[in-house]
Amino acid sequence: MTFDWTYFWQSLLTPSEQFLNGLALTIIISVVSMVLALVLGLVIALMGRSRFLPLRIIASLYVWVIRGTPLLVQLVIIYTGFAAVGLFRFEDADLAGVLIKGAVQASIVGLMLHESAYISEIVRSGLESVERGQNEAALSLGHTPLGAMRYIVVPQAIRIMVPPLGNSFNGLMKTTSVLSIIGVAEMFQVGSTMASSTFKVFEIYLVIAIYYLVLTTVWTVAQTAIENSLNARAGLPRAESAWKRLFGLRSRKASPAQATAETSRVLQTDDAY
Amino acid sequence: MNDYTVATPIETRGPIVRAVGVRKSFGDREILSGIDVEVERGEVVVLVGASGAGKTTFLRTLNRLEPIDGGEIDVNGEQIGQHANGKGRLVERSARDLARQRADIGFVFQHFNLFPHMTVLENIWHSPVRVKGEKKSEAVGYARELLARVGLADKADARPRSLSGGQQQRVAIARALAMRPALMLFDEPTSALDPEMVGEVLAVMRDLAKAGMTMIIVSHEMGFTREVADRVIVMDGGRIIESGPPAQVFTAPQHERTRQFLSKVL
Repeated sequence: MTFDWTYFWQSLLTPSEQFLNGLALTIIISVVSMVLALVLGLVIALMGRSRFLPLRIIASLYVWVIRGTPLLVQLVIIYTGFAAVGLFRFEDADLAGVLIKGAVQASIVGLMLHESAYISEIVRSGLESVERGQNEAALSLGHTPLGAMRYIVVPQAIRIMVPPLGNSFNGLMKTTSVLSIIGVAEMFQVGSTMASSTFKVFEIYLVIAIYYLVLTTVWTVAQTAIENSLNARAGLPRAESAWKRLFGLRSRKASPAQATAETSRVLQTDDAY
Repeated sequence: MNDYTVATPIETRGPIVRAVGVRKSFGDREILSGIDVEVERGEVVVLVGASGAGKTTFLRTLNRLEPIDGGEIDVNGEQIGQHANGKGRLVERSARDLARQRADIGFVFQHFNLFPHMTVLENIWHSPVRVKGEKKSEAVGYARELLARVGLADKADARPRSLSGGQQQRVAIARALAMRPALMLFDEPTSALDPEMVGEVLAVMRDLAKAGMTMIIVSHEMGFTREVADRVIVMDGGRIIESGPPAQVFTAPQHERTRQFLSKVL
C-alpha cells in the first residue's frame, strides 16, 4: 500500500486556503439554505392547513413534485436548464462587496426548494401532534386563532419538530457535496480538483470525509444543546447525550422527544402518576 | 371571600344566555334539533341526559367552539359568533370579535387541557396578560389568589403534568376564572377523574355557585346537581324534553324518557 501519511496529515491539519474556502462555502450554503427553507417550509405547511382549497392544492402539489424528483435533477434544471431555454440565468452578483457566483445562488435556491418540501411535512406533523384541546382551550380563553398558534400550539410543536429538523440539517450539510455538479467550489469540489492534480485520491477523500464528520458531529452537539434547553424550559428530562446519539448507543427507553409527543395524550388518560 | 366575578357585563339586564331554535348537524346526523333556553344571571343550570343527547355539543355552541347551522345564540345581549350585517344578513364575526366575546365566557373541559409548557401559575396569568392586556404583576397576584381559593397555593411553580387529575381540573377552573368571566361553562368536569378526586372539584364548583357565578354545567353527578342546581334541563335526541328545579325533575319527572334516564343514574 502506498498511503502518503505526510500528505494526509498535512492536508488534514494544515489544509490549503483553497480547501478552507471550500469548507467555508459548504457551511455558508448549508446555513443560508436551511434558514430560507425553514421560512418557506413554514409557509407551505401553513398553506396546507389553510381554509382555502386552492392554497391547500398548491401546497400538496409542491410537496409532491419536489419530494418526488431528485435534487440533482432539480439543480441542473434550475441552473443550466432555465438558462438554456432563456428563462432565467443566475448572474454573479455583488452583495455588500462580496462576489456571489451564479452557481452559488442557484445552489441556495435549489437546496431551499428541496429542503422546504421536507420541512413543511415536519412542521405539519409537529403542529398536528399538539392535542386539539390545546387550541380549543386557548380559543375559549379569548385568544385569536393566530394568538393560540403563537402562544400555545407552536411552542409545544417546536419541541417535537427540533429533532427531525436537526436531522434534516445534518443531511443537508452532506448533500451540499452534489453541488460540485454545477461547479460550485464547495469542499467536495475543491477536494476532487486536488485529487485529480495530485493523484492522492485516497488521502484527499479521507480528509474530506473527516471534515464532513467534524461538521455533522459539531452540529449533533449543538442540536443536543438546543433540545436540552427546550426540554429544560418545558420542565422535561434532558435529551439523550450527543455521544450516545453519535455512536448509536441510545437508550432503549422512549426518547424525551417521543415522551413530549405523548405528554398531551397522557394528560388525557391518566389522572395520577 | 367568594367574589369571583369582577366583570362588568355589557348588558346587565335580561337573560345572560338566550338560545333560540339552535340546530347543529355533523354530516347527515342532526345533533341539535332546535334548542330554546334562557339562563338568568346568577343561575346554575345543569344539563343532564343520556350520552349522545347533545348536551356537550350544545354547551360548545355557547362559546362557538361549535358553529351552529340554524337558530340564534345571544350571550350577554350579543349574538355569539355571528351578527347581522348592514343588509340584515347573518354573517360570521371576525376572529378578533369572536375572541373578544369568548374572553367573557369561561370554559372548563372534561380533559382539563392545561398548557403543559407553562407552570401552573403561568397557565392562569397568561391569558389575562396576553388577551386582555392586564399588567403582569397584577395578573400574577390575582392568579395566586385564585390558586389559593382552589386550594393549590403551594403548586404555583409545579408543571401541570405533575398534578393529579383533580388538581389539574381545579387549576383549569382557576385559569378560566382569571379572565373574570360573566359566565362559566363546564363540560363534564369530573368525568375524567378517579372517584376519590371528584369531591375536591365539586367543592370548588359549589363555592363558585354560592358566590353567585352564572354556571351551565354538563354533568352526571346527580347528588351535586340536586344540591347546587337552580334548574335541571333534561336533553334527549337533540331536544330539551324537560326542565325545572331539581326537586321537581328528580322526584316527579314528566317525561317517560326522563324517568328511564333517572332510573339508570339515581
